[in-house]
Amino acid sequence: MTDSKELLTKYEPKEANVLTADPQVRSARFSPCGKVIVAGGFDGRVRRWNIEPATESRAGATPTPQELPALDGHHAWIDGIAFCQDGELIFTADSWGQLCCWNGYAADQPQVKWRHEQAHDGWIRELAVSPDGQRLASCGSDRFVRIRSVEDGVKQREFDAGRDVLRIVWMPDGTLLTGDDRGIVKHWKDDGSLIRQFDAAVLYTLSRLQDVGGVHSLAIDREGKLLAAGGTIPKNGGTVTGPPTILVFDVATGEEKHKLTLGVDSDCYVADMHFHNEGFLSAVTYGTPGAGQLLYVLPEEGKPFFTKKLSNLHSLSWHPDGKRLAVVATNPGSNGNGRPLDKEGNYVGNKSPIHVFEVSGG
Amino acid sequence: MKYSHLCTPIEHQLSRRAILGAAGAIGLGSLLRPAAAEELKKKHKQVLFIWIDGGMSQLESWDPKPNTVFGGPFRAIPTSVPGIHVSELLPRSARIMQHLAIIRSVHTQDNSHSAGVARIQRGDPKNRGVTYPYFGSAVAKFLGPGDSGLPPYVWIKPGSGGFIHQDAGFLGPKFGAVAFGDGKPPENLVLHESLTVTEDDERNALRQAANARYAKGRRKRMGEATSYVYDVARTLMKRQDLFDTSKFDPKDVERYGTHEIGRHMLQARKMLEAGVTFVKVNSYGWDTHGDNFNGHLSLMPKFDQAFAAIVGDLADRGMLDNVLVIAMSEFGRTPRINGHIGRDHWPEAWSVAMAGCGLNRGLVVGETNDKGTFVNGDEHDIGSLFHTWFAALGIDSKAIEYDNGGQPLPIAHDGMQAVKELLA
Repeated sequence: MTDSKELLTKYEPKEANVLTADPQVRSARFSPCGKVIVAGGFDGRVRRWNIEPATESRAGATPTPQELPALDGHHAWIDGIAFCQDGELIFTADSWGQLCCWNGYAADQPQVKWRHEQAHDGWIRELAVSPDGQRLASCGSDRFVRIRSVEDGVKQREFDAGRDVLRIVWMPDGTLLTGDDRGIVKHWKDDGSLIRQFDAAVLYTLSRLQDVGGVHSLAIDREGKLLAAGGTIPKNGGTVTGPPTILVFDVATGEEKHKLTLGVDSDCYVADMHFHNEGFLSAVTYGTPGAGQLLYVLPEEGKPFFTKKLSNLHSLSWHPDGKRLAVVATNPGSNGNGRPLDKEGNYVGNKSPIHVFEVSGG
Repeated sequence: MKYSHLCTPIEHQLSRRAILGAAGAIGLGSLLRPAAAEELKKKHKQVLFIWIDGGMSQLESWDPKPNTVFGGPFRAIPTSVPGIHVSELLPRSARIMQHLAIIRSVHTQDNSHSAGVARIQRGDPKNRGVTYPYFGSAVAKFLGPGDSGLPPYVWIKPGSGGFIHQDAGFLGPKFGAVAFGDGKPPENLVLHESLTVTEDDERNALRQAANARYAKGRRKRMGEATSYVYDVARTLMKRQDLFDTSKFDPKDVERYGTHEIGRHMLQARKMLEAGVTFVKVNSYGWDTHGDNFNGHLSLMPKFDQAFAAIVGDLADRGMLDNVLVIAMSEFGRTPRINGHIGRDHWPEAWSVAMAGCGLNRGLVVGETNDKGTFVNGDEHDIGSLFHTWFAALGIDSKAIEYDNGGQPLPIAHDGMQAVKELLA
């Protein structure tokens, strides 16, 4: 096992670029080819940036990303973005239940391969493509998990997961993990039969009328032996606060092996995370406006060996080359009870800086 | 900003002893000028005032802007009134839209909880150096207790109860709220087992005699107020049916919801049926600066269930002709979405839902712009709503004045008018 000092030497992020998404986006992901960053907006648009444009490829220069035309046709919020590892397919899903497969994610005008206007009744929370690249899983606030053929979008399976399913992840063996709004992680066969439950209910509380928290992020290690469920231990509803927390479970036994407390109450949610092949977790958090962290932690050490503060981070994506990562932040000063107007007197919304970092990796 | 310290008003423990003790604090408030006061009381209008503390988002409730940059993740759904849409988080309320009157052009002056709650509930009149009564106290003053003998201003709320005399402002503590913490009755409400009814009556007669002697040589209203508070306690002792939730119809309990706001709203219906003039129901925890959308996804269905149930029941019982229903917060929530995925405080353009006596039904008044950021057309401040509500209750807010120890005072902001489109 590599120790944290050595890991930090290899993976300490150095900022390379900042893209600005205006209006805000929910998440941003590197494409499998590594040339495109795709982000899902608050405005129903899928935003794309070519981060390696040919015109900027002279040796030694950091390419200037070029924004590609947005993909239209979605509604409201786009929370689901997933790729096939091979080929040019991208899947996008929105909070009104629409699911879409596009061909040619790097092209100027990707074509719709198939689309379901009502793949779910309402908010699709996340998408995931199976390890064999043949199936697409979706989950939503309608409590259902649905599995479709990536090729034609035909539904192959569906099952009621019992609660609002916030997160879904495929295991290497083709089984599924879901994380719900009550802090329960469920391990399913793809026919919907339950294999095991993992109790992360500390990530949930009922505060007066409000159900607060749940599994806001979910990750597995490369071998599928450890799973990590992230969120917060909520102290209250309304303005939700609580320490960012990750619980690490042994998949085979269901035993909780580590409980990682990664900040103070104002830091709140672990929004996204990734198990690195070298055994550490990278994660991002967002809390009260302005509060956000990019951090690395070895589960067995309990405390982060790297923390970088940025304003309200919502997603984390590693480049396929393992030498870059992108995080979605929020502009500082995003909150306030007043009426922010620009010089023309227009009401001003918020933006999402997308920070692209480089690591040596070597 | 320490949000958590701003959101809960000072509360007091309620007990029969506390109610009785409050009599000692009762001073001399003002008197309603005599015009039409007796006539008003005969009609016995009632009010259900639902206070959603912290700020319900108008965009996730009565004024959705689906598929716009500030619109959030949710859809809008049609209602029982063609052309009117509300958030998908209000499916039950959508089905009773024919009873409702929504105003989407509310524009108020305060964006803090600490000042806003009182400012809104007092009607934000022009500053004349006096503390105006909350709407509940004003209605209690104008309409009185009716024939029920129950206190005219009852507050069902989470947490503790108490006699909230501060609500009454210059009207004097007699018009304060009798608050039932978690809907529970005052402590020691049941007659002590060592006392027979006869003995209790004898004690009461003794108390009345003592009262009379106490009042002698004192100002008349001091004695009246003291006696009133005793009478409230005695009346409540006889109405334990209003508090014994185990005897509520299980079907009603299921329809309203077993959650806090469901239980409290069902109890509010019982209070209205029993004749209480003004019933306020509070729901706390709506200050969603963070995780607003998951928050409303959880909160709104519970509000929706209880709200639609009580409005439907009042309609079915023919009570909407006499009961004015108001559901509101101290402000709405910002269109822009902050980094905590929350919405902040927004008094600029928000919505209030109403139903019942004196109001038109099945309509929306006022509008916001396409993005929901500001009001298009006329803005309506809380003063206009006070005029509207008084008019709906048959109280002429332009003709009637408070008499605060000889100082005439308008009962609502004298620079504002009722929203005529709302009035039947």
